[in-house]
Amino acid sequence: MEVPSFLVVSLLFSCFVATTRGSYFSQLKNTLTVTATHPQGQVLKAGDDQITVTWGFNQSYPSGTDSDYKTVKVKLCYAPVSQKDRKWRKTEDHLKKDRTCQHKIVARPYAASNNTVTYTIKKDVPTGVYFVRVYAFDAQDVEVAYGQTTDAHKTTNLFEIQAITGRHKSLDIASVCFSAFSVVSLAGFFYMEKRKGKASK
Amino acid sequence: MPTIEGSPGSSMHGVTGKEAVMAFSVASPVVHTDRTAKFDLPVDSEHKATVFKLFSFANPHMRTFHLSWISFFTTFVSTFAAAPLVPIIRDNLDLTKADIGNAGVASVSGSIFSRLTMGVVCDMLGPRYGCAFLIMLSAPTVFCMSFVSDASGYIAVRFMIGFSLATFVSCQYWMSTMFNSKIIGLVNGTAAGWGNMGGGATQLLMPVLFEIIKKAGATPFTAWRIAFFIPGWFNVIMGILVLTLGQDLPDGNLGALQKKGDVAKDKFGKVLWYAVTNYRTWIFVLLYGYSMGVELTIDNVIAEYFYDRFDLKLHLAGIIAACFGMANLLARPFGGFTSDYMATRFGMRGRLWNLWLLQTAGGLCCLCLGLVNSLPLAITFMMLFSIGAQAACGATFGIIPFISRRSLGIISGMTGAGGNFGSGLTQLIFFANASFSTEKGLTYMGIMIMLVTIPVSFVHFPQWGSMFFPPSQDIVKGSEEHYYESEWTEDEKQKGMHQASLKFAENSRSERGRRVASAPTPPENTPNHV
Repeated sequence: MEVPSFLVVSLLFSCFVATTRGSYFSQLKNTLTVTATHPQGQVLKAGDDQITVTWGFNQSYPSGTDSDYKTVKVKLCYAPVSQKDRKWRKTEDHLKKDRTCQHKIVARPYAASNNTVTYTIKKDVPTGVYFVRVYAFDAQDVEVAYGQTTDAHKTTNLFEIQAITGRHKSLDIASVCFSAFSVVSLAGFFYMEKRKGKASK
Repeated sequence: MPTIEGSPGSSMHGVTGKEAVMAFSVASPVVHTDRTAKFDLPVDSEHKATVFKLFSFANPHMRTFHLSWISFFTTFVSTFAAAPLVPIIRDNLDLTKADIGNAGVASVSGSIFSRLTMGVVCDMLGPRYGCAFLIMLSAPTVFCMSFVSDASGYIAVRFMIGFSLATFVSCQYWMSTMFNSKIIGLVNGTAAGWGNMGGGATQLLMPVLFEIIKKAGATPFTAWRIAFFIPGWFNVIMGILVLTLGQDLPDGNLGALQKKGDVAKDKFGKVLWYAVTNYRTWIFVLLYGYSMGVELTIDNVIAEYFYDRFDLKLHLAGIIAACFGMANLLARPFGGFTSDYMATRFGMRGRLWNLWLLQTAGGLCCLCLGLVNSLPLAITFMMLFSIGAQAACGATFGIIPFISRRSLGIISGMTGAGGNFGSGLTQLIFFANASFSTEKGLTYMGIMIMLVTIPVSFVHFPQWGSMFFPPSQDIVKGSEEHYYESEWTEDEKQKGMHQASLKFAENSRSERGRRVASAPTPPENTPNHV
């Protein structure tokens, strides 16, 4: 039964290849050029400011390298200074465990050039220092290539984002009101019971 | 009856087959039921209930039970409400690992002081005011989470909310005034255990509230703040219920009874002195730091442990974390129950052995938890550890009411504080240190638990003995009355201030276990039935 065994072997082989191919960041090719423009010289505000990201295939690579790129995901990633003392943002080579890029900007089908997106920084983005990275995926939804706005050591071209506080005046007022209610009703009860005690004497 | 009650062979227990068997009721001839008192439940000479009817709300005994445990549950929900939301809070406030660890230590440290103070408050003002004041004054601290904008604010607010864990002391104290000592282990264990469940319930409740509020349209960094309003409202509601529906003692409120002269007012200095100079107090302070203390520590670290070590999703890690805390539903009452059961057969010695066995077994399972690499084994050892540690907590408070009658409040407070101190210390040594991994920390914590439990073998009561030594053979020194009277000076005895202690001594004779039948009658005390 040669055909079934060949099928089994090739199935296993393809599974193995599929899981290892693109699974590790160090195996990805840096074939995309990515630029991000944003208001210069200031800290960007979440919920208000915008970043415009442009990306495309780096033509200095042989054409055909991008033949298996089917989709892209553009992500907002933490710079090393924002990962310090924060294990939940740790960089791991195995991409399934990697926590560097936790905020998705957009997902699009792949095109070699003319890709732009204007992104208003979402309100759940925390305060930190960031860069932008674009991952290219193949048909099996496995990472095969990437590009980023910063260098290999993630030190250049970084930008700062300031998160929203999450506080609201209405919340503050409600908080004060309920607190006052608690203290006043306690004092009221206490006073009334003391009075009843004195009256019954 | 021609035979003297209590002499060998005279017990009618079990003869008709209709007598209640276990610790849910007291049918022993030693505890004299006061039939003149008009209560829904049968009571003893101090008007404490001798029966524990779980699903009743009868005033005052069972109603007190329910008010008490629910208040305590509420404070646990408030204190640990931040833990399951940490992934959102750490992004909103830009926290580092050290900030999160310090907030965990802060959340349990505040109540070291408040538990000590609460003991005094209960002795002086009564548990009802103690409980109500604490939960209503800590409600503003919970509402304060809406103002927090950085790490220092977060740590400060968690510290302040943590003060409310002192309701533990009012809860245990209140149970001890309402329930007879034969069933106190089970009652205290159930009340405290169900209260502690709050630490588990909050791991389920807060994420659900957060999701609902987010769906209603709030952004994540606002939604978690709104979610904190719910525990805050629980605090206020429970405070009002306690004030309107509760009473300090079976016969009424402390203030009213003190005015009538029924309950003597005591001096703080004296109460403190008798607590502090009793060496047993300190042994239990240490022990409780490694049963309750480790439980609080685990409440703060276990979700993150499962998330990191076994790569679980956050909500799954939260569910496992909740299971640890929710085991309190049965585990802590179980510890109180086994304490009471061992007492019926072996007296106080049985209670001490029971505590040692449970706490040491828990420590062993904690050690194993840190060593195993597979998820099913880890969950198994975590659950066994939770049962051991929580049952040990229940067993501890089955013994505490017997250390002192006069200073019960302060001793409960000191023991409770010891629990929190143990938790803060353990988190600092084993879990805030970058040089140990969390699994190493768990293993070392397990070893420390087993070592720290050894001193329970040094606890000796002259009237009941200890783990290895028998009681004193001296007729006077070996009597319960002598032990409890020794807390009062001659002057105070002249004024009759020790009457409550005498009543308690009589009711505590059950701690002799099966030997009650052969207990010699102390010469000055005429037995009641003559």
